[in-house]
Amino acid sequence: MKAQLLALAAALPVLGSFAGGCFPSDAEPSGSCQPEPESVIDCRAPGYGSELLPAGLIARSCTGSARPDLDDATYVEDVPRGSVCADMGPLGDTGRRGYCCTNGPVECAFDPHSDCDAPTYGYRCWGANRPESLNPAMSCTNGNRDGAIVDYCCASIAEFKSAPRCQQSDTVGCGDHLLGFLCQSDRLPRGEDLGANKSRADFFHPVCEIPKPAPNPDYKTYCCFMPGLIPEGGSCVNHTFVPGCAGGRFGFACYGPDTPEDDYPGMACPEPGFRGTSAEGYPATLYCCDMRFE
Amino acid sequence: MWRTAASTLALSGVLACAPLSEDATGFSYLCGETPDQSFVVANDHVTVGGGAICGEGDPNLPPEPRLPEQVCQVLSADKTFPDENRLDTERIQTALTACQGVGAVKLVTDGANNAFVAAHLDLKSVTLWVDSGVTLFVSRNPDLFQKTGSCGVAGASDSDACLPFISVSGTSPAIVGDGVIDGQGGEPLVGHDYSWWQLSGALRSTDGSIGNPQLINLDTGTTGFLIYRITLHDSPKFHVKITSNPADGTCDAPGEGYTVWGITILTPSKLYNSQGLLMTPHFARNTDGVDPGTTNTATCGVIACNTISTSDDQIAIKGGHLVKDLVIAHNHFGTGHGMSIGSETYGQVAGPNGLERGVQNVLIYDLTIDADSRSVGYDGSDADFNGIRIKSDISRGGLVDNIVYQDVCMRDMNNAILISTGYNPLFSGSSFPEFRNVSFQNVRHVGCMSDVQPVVTIEGHSATRRAGPIKFDNVIIDNIGPGAVAAEYADVELGPGNVNFMPRGTEVRVANNISGASQPHGCIFPVLPAPQLPPGWLRGP
Repeated sequence: MKAQLLALAAALPVLGSFAGGCFPSDAEPSGSCQPEPESVIDCRAPGYGSELLPAGLIARSCTGSARPDLDDATYVEDVPRGSVCADMGPLGDTGRRGYCCTNGPVECAFDPHSDCDAPTYGYRCWGANRPESLNPAMSCTNGNRDGAIVDYCCASIAEFKSAPRCQQSDTVGCGDHLLGFLCQSDRLPRGEDLGANKSRADFFHPVCEIPKPAPNPDYKTYCCFMPGLIPEGGSCVNHTFVPGCAGGRFGFACYGPDTPEDDYPGMACPEPGFRGTSAEGYPATLYCCDMRFE
Repeated sequence: MWRTAASTLALSGVLACAPLSEDATGFSYLCGETPDQSFVVANDHVTVGGGAICGEGDPNLPPEPRLPEQVCQVLSADKTFPDENRLDTERIQTALTACQGVGAVKLVTDGANNAFVAAHLDLKSVTLWVDSGVTLFVSRNPDLFQKTGSCGVAGASDSDACLPFISVSGTSPAIVGDGVIDGQGGEPLVGHDYSWWQLSGALRSTDGSIGNPQLINLDTGTTGFLIYRITLHDSPKFHVKITSNPADGTCDAPGEGYTVWGITILTPSKLYNSQGLLMTPHFARNTDGVDPGTTNTATCGVIACNTISTSDDQIAIKGGHLVKDLVIAHNHFGTGHGMSIGSETYGQVAGPNGLERGVQNVLIYDLTIDADSRSVGYDGSDADFNGIRIKSDISRGGLVDNIVYQDVCMRDMNNAILISTGYNPLFSGSSFPEFRNVSFQNVRHVGCMSDVQPVVTIEGHSATRRAGPIKFDNVIIDNIGPGAVAAEYADVELGPGNVNFMPRGTEVRVANNISGASQPHGCIFPVLPAPQLPPGWLRGP
């Protein structure tokens, strides 16, 4: 996440001229939340078996874009505190969504600025407790450490199971210095998908080649590397769908005058950039590049 | 961190300590240690201070093992130092192969010659006897241990990169004797200016997994393994990884699966390596002492009368397959990361009684753990001072059940008791730690040199995946206060003996059955083997 924020921060002045500088997550949530009886939302959670058990959670519902844990999130001296809520989906046709939330403050806070892929949403947590330990009605991805805080992407257990996944895999067959990932659907590799023994100390978003199809048509394989610090003012971000860029090459979208060669040491971009849009939908200069290993 | 003395009066060996915080309970304990409690070989037995035979008459233990009566081949040392240009690999391996099922291969001194040096060895259904005065050195040449191409390569996080020094397999294999096996983990590798430990240390910040050679690794299918009286120094990685079971598959008596008796592990064994680099316990990363169950199942074991000071877990019971029916008795630990279970506890094995899981039926008693034996180093961490530890997380969790700790003495731990389901909270998964019956009886923690308040942690996973029952009966942690007890999602039972802390926290349920008077467990610590300290350190050898 840190890498993404850094990249966005670097790109903000440029984005401002193209897109007005607004991000949806900056908007005030609309709607409100209220408690619900247990009869409306079943907030029990599985134990060691499949049986559902009382989990000490409280049921709430919200309208619009409001969430109970968004209202509760605070950071006191950088320590996140708030509630952790599993989004249990729409409550019939009431226009409300149901949530199962921790009862009382915990050392995790909802992160409205996270870039978790739907249906997951982000939490920032302090200490050894993962969100699903505090709220066993949910599941979360691998964490990414940001100093003393760990970032997670979470969803209700059912939603999490259905979400597209990526998994770092040594069987993908990447070249030296590249990590392989096997991803479902259009899901892109992220730092949280790294295996247990892989370093996640540097950055959240790996830079990945244009994907190749996997034997299973529901999957794509990616070969990626974890980039170093992008130079100040650098605006190029990885873009794995650059038109005309063949599988096995690296695509980038640059918002400013810099090129991927400026921002990513070892990257060589023999063809000139061309105008297009980034994966996020903003106007950018697109490049197709290759990794040179010294 | 360097440990600082609560009072330099401790140097005199006698100290009544003051509480370390206002809310801590006061205590009075006479600091110091005695050689009378140290394990020494006398009259061909492992004894307590040269007196009583260790484990004799203990109904939970088999008789003490014996050195082999049948010697197949005797190999004499022909050098006084580990000369990499004159390896003994071939002649030792030839003898081991020829003596399978016949008798022991005995390594002996020859005048002043007392050193052997070898690379990877296969020890199948045979006994290797390293005689008193002999040191069997592990070659420092990584090319001789190459397995995946990453062995000895800086920066490579490849846990399977190297062959072990000794691969053990077959029926009743054994490593015995009063000699030393020295892994040379802190010495520079041939052709490089870095050591095995520096390779490992380079991966510390990224939690990388080093592929250095294990000192002794048992292969799947091994039965009746014995390691007896040998001294192990400076393994490049874990010292003894045990995968061994009874030959007939049933545990009729403790030790039929494997026996670790009377061994000494001291790592690092030197204060400085040959280049003058300071060797602290924190420096020697990933050097577990004895690990049952790492590679495959380990059942029906005995670990008795051993002395272990190392730089990772002194014992780590690995439940990635199945470890059950294990007696750990009469052991002395120095520095290390703990008498540990985990972090892998997710094992599932189909057996005659159905599916068996994780770690079950472990009895641990008469154990001393003394973090005060050595300074860990300037960059040491809390993990270097653990006492009793059960650790796992949802990426590797499973059943831990019927675990009993009795008559345990600890000194100067940061974490006296650490039961944690969040070993590495970064990792996701659905293998939830399932810590069930765990009991502590007659456990005492004392403080002498540490200025850190000891901590007790009792953590289940969540409200629906609770730990417990965790039972405490006569458990006294000197210097503890309410702020040093962390608990959540656990069912705890206290009593009938006194317990001087009260676990409180989220979803903690406590049944307080303390009935009144009980005497804190009496603790006497042995003098432990340790490298000589340089001038100016707080404590002398």
